[in-house]
Amino acid sequence: MITKAIQSYCNAVHHLVDFVGRSVGYIMPLLAFVVVFEVVARYFFDSPTIWAYDLSLFMFGYISALSGAYAQQKRAHINVDILYNHVRPKVRSIFNILSFSIALIFALIIIYMSIDKFYEAIEFNYRRQSEWAPHMHHFWVMMVVACGLLSLQLISDILLNAYFFVTGKKLIPNAPDTEEFTHGN
Amino acid sequence: MGIELLTGVLLLCILVTFAMGAPVGLGLGGIAMIVGYMTWGDGIFNVIPTTLESTFFSFILLAIPLYIYMGQLLTRSGIGDAMFNASQMLIGKIRGSLAISVIVVCSMIGAMVGIIGAGIMTSGSIALKPMLDRGYDKRLALGVIMAGGGLGILIPPSVPMIMFASSTQTSVGRMFIAALIPALITIVLLITYVVVSCKLNPSKAPIGNDAHDEMTPKEKFRTGRDGLFSVLLITAVLGSIITGIATPTESGAIGVAGAVLLAIVFKRFKREIFESAGLSSALLVSVAMWIIFGATVFSNFHLLMGVQNMIAGFTQDLGLPPIGVIIMFQLIMLLLGFIIDEFIIVLICAPLFTPIAVSLGFDPIWFGILMILNIEIAVQTPPYGFALFYLKGIAPPDITMLDIYRSVTPFVLIKLFVLVLCMLFPDIVLWLPNKMMNG
Amino acid sequence: AEHNWRFANLYSRGTAYGELYENLGKNIEQMSAGKIKVQVLYSGEGVGSSGILGAVKSGLVTMGAPFQSMHAGELPAGVVEIGLPGGTDDVGELSTLFHEKGWDKVLKEAYGAQGLVWLDPYIQPPVYIITKKPINSVADFKGLKIRAPGAYGKFLRQLGASPVSLAWSEIYTSLSTGVIDGSIGSNMIDHRDGNHVEVAKYMYRLPLAGAQVLPIVVNRSAWNKLTPELQAIVSAATTIHAREQMTKSKLWESQAVAEMEAKGLKWSPEPSAEDKAAWKAAAASLWDEYAKSDKYSAQLIEILKKQ
Ligand code: NA
Ligand code: NA
Repeated sequence: MITKAIQSYCNAVHHLVDFVGRSVGYIMPLLAFVVVFEVVARYFFDSPTIWAYDLSLFMFGYISALSGAYAQQKRAHINVDILYNHVRPKVRSIFNILSFSIALIFALIIIYMSIDKFYEAIEFNYRRQSEWAPHMHHFWVMMVVACGLLSLQLISDILLNAYFFVTGKKLIPNAPDTEEFTHGN
Repeated sequence: MGIELLTGVLLLCILVTFAMGAPVGLGLGGIAMIVGYMTWGDGIFNVIPTTLESTFFSFILLAIPLYIYMGQLLTRSGIGDAMFNASQMLIGKIRGSLAISVIVVCSMIGAMVGIIGAGIMTSGSIALKPMLDRGYDKRLALGVIMAGGGLGILIPPSVPMIMFASSTQTSVGRMFIAALIPALITIVLLITYVVVSCKLNPSKAPIGNDAHDEMTPKEKFRTGRDGLFSVLLITAVLGSIITGIATPTESGAIGVAGAVLLAIVFKRFKREIFESAGLSSALLVSVAMWIIFGATVFSNFHLLMGVQNMIAGFTQDLGLPPIGVIIMFQLIMLLLGFIIDEFIIVLICAPLFTPIAVSLGFDPIWFGILMILNIEIAVQTPPYGFALFYLKGIAPPDITMLDIYRSVTPFVLIKLFVLVLCMLFPDIVLWLPNKMMNG
Repeated sequence: AEHNWRFANLYSRGTAYGELYENLGKNIEQMSAGKIKVQVLYSGEGVGSSGILGAVKSGLVTMGAPFQSMHAGELPAGVVEIGLPGGTDDVGELSTLFHEKGWDKVLKEAYGAQGLVWLDPYIQPPVYIITKKPINSVADFKGLKIRAPGAYGKFLRQLGASPVSLAWSEIYTSLSTGVIDGSIGSNMIDHRDGNHVEVAKYMYRLPLAGAQVLPIVVNRSAWNKLTPELQAIVSAATTIHAREQMTKSKLWESQAVAEMEAKGLKWSPEPSAEDKAAWKAAAASLWDEYAKSDKYSAQLIEILKKQ
């Protein structure tokens, strides 16, 4: 019963994070387009925009933060694997539980602070300091979502490792942590 | 807790967390928050919003996504390959030629990218497999990619140079020019090493099975043309900076537009390529930014606790002669390179060391170039270095971390030699900018 | 010490201005007989320059010397406080404005609303524009791409220029390659430090704002922990600091100008009476716009107009 619940939680998180991660990839060409647009507007038409600067920074932030959970799912976050690759799988799962817990603490604190900043941004009508002066509140909402997804993913990974440690079996066939380190693929 | 003890505790935590294989950025951020909570209280959590805003809204760092994206588009559309094949067509007969053209191609990529990761990921994905396939010595192949890819921050444009210039309020343009001669010396020395060591030990680099002789004239023409166009793209990106069309940060976007255009011209533009390039770029950007963010949270906590005063006090109390201080700074940065990434070294050391170096009568540009050369070494020295991990990321699975560690030695020595050379003869760095920018 | 304070400013370690903040910290320590210990944090040491206000507000640092233009989105009234384009540089006039006409009350409230204690401000030298080509009349600004953020950008747009947003570290390269035709600097010292004169030779004679008025802010809960006596000591130390800023700024500004002139800085011709009128009109048109940005700005500008 609990196993089933964990299994469906992990599957649900997997699909959610996968969907968001894949969607974020489409911001990349938009970001490049905005920067090229600014260059063309300024150089060829002598009329720099007031929005490209902040818009490109927002997109940059969205890509960076929102892909964090997907990177965790793909084990793309860089780690030091010297000892890690040479310990028994059960020890490795202990390592994972500990280090993902540290990461989870970090992600939860970011959520907590971002909620604060969101209310502050609403209360005082915080904007960027530029002439365009776009609102800041959505950035903090995005951070809550990004770190929320990251937390869900980390919890899923911790659960899978704990299950493996207790039973010696994988709960989900392709769980990554007992595979080789494959960063950057 | 005194700052010395705190620094010790933090180092120990890093060591343990990294040994467990924790994600570097998240681990650093987590350690800072946990240790911070125990020494400072929950007030330390406030470091998160300000750090988030300063890292995610840094226009200079915007070069990271733009250049990574350009690199991914070049690699996935095969344009990077074209550049490499064309260079092979020209010098394929020389022993070690593949390694030499890798260095040349890496220098060209380095001329465009401003960050180590993009340089190594781009050159590595193009050139590592061909070298291994043709029976090149593993260590030679890995070392060449690592050394060549690292040139990205020495050949302008360079993100760490931009960061150095912004935090020490020196001129970016001057630094870019100052780096040219040291970069050239490094490239020449790397090529010399490859030629000499292949002469001494021919088994390191077997002469290929002359695939290029079997090419029809039409294939040769296509390879040459594609290579030429790739070189033109680099020229266009650099040209857009020089002619005032774009700033160094924006030039990455020009490169993206150019790469898309080339892919369309070469009829290699496919939807899958476009999508996978976007996805993998987003992933790499996120990985880079989470490390930068986590590491900055970590160092901001450490700085708020006063580590800069410790380092500053440490460097002032020694009563060393001026050049001794410079050497000390280099040693500190090399040591920091064992645990901290390139950007944070610049962030911490540039504002801390440069004013001292300047007050001792040294040129800040010269000191900045030494710092860049130093960082290039720091990121590829074991146990901890970003260049090592990027390389591991693109290497085939049978390459172990130990292979990578062993591969770097001769190349690190070459770079160390260049560093010492520039330290002893500042004119290597300063002559060109003084000549070109009239003092 | 009873109170351990962190004091963030936005100058780099080892710069002349940085020392003034170091002195303020030392004065607070000495005058409080060591009851308040102040650790000075320079640019980038734990807090980025655009994060100072937020960091003081949250208590991450106790005291800060922010540059209001960087916080235009958080505290719009600060932009009016620092000096809108066209503002006066007369120290007596500024002093009356702040201390007699009631700007201090409005600002205390504006900063207070965000949990900040506003201490007596200090004056830094004005903002000037450097251009690649001489500006012979205001009409020459038409079509020029000038790096000028926020309020300064809006002002230049009124004169027909195209304001551009760039990172500080990109100004030099951008002037040199021609991405931009000119740039403002926080003051003459800023232009000198950026080596702008190497790549753009002409300084325009009219300053964008006569003088810049910058505050020292303290986290409210840290402030409330001080005895009234210690509070008075901190205030007194900021008054000394303001005086030091005034004398040193004048000296450093003239040194910076002399150094730039030695490197070939030229001044654009003296502006005509029409130019000055156009300049003033452009500035005045902004006042109403800024008055709309929030209620504190409105109050400040109302007082300003009465003057
Ligand atoms: Na480069
Ligand atoms: Na290292």
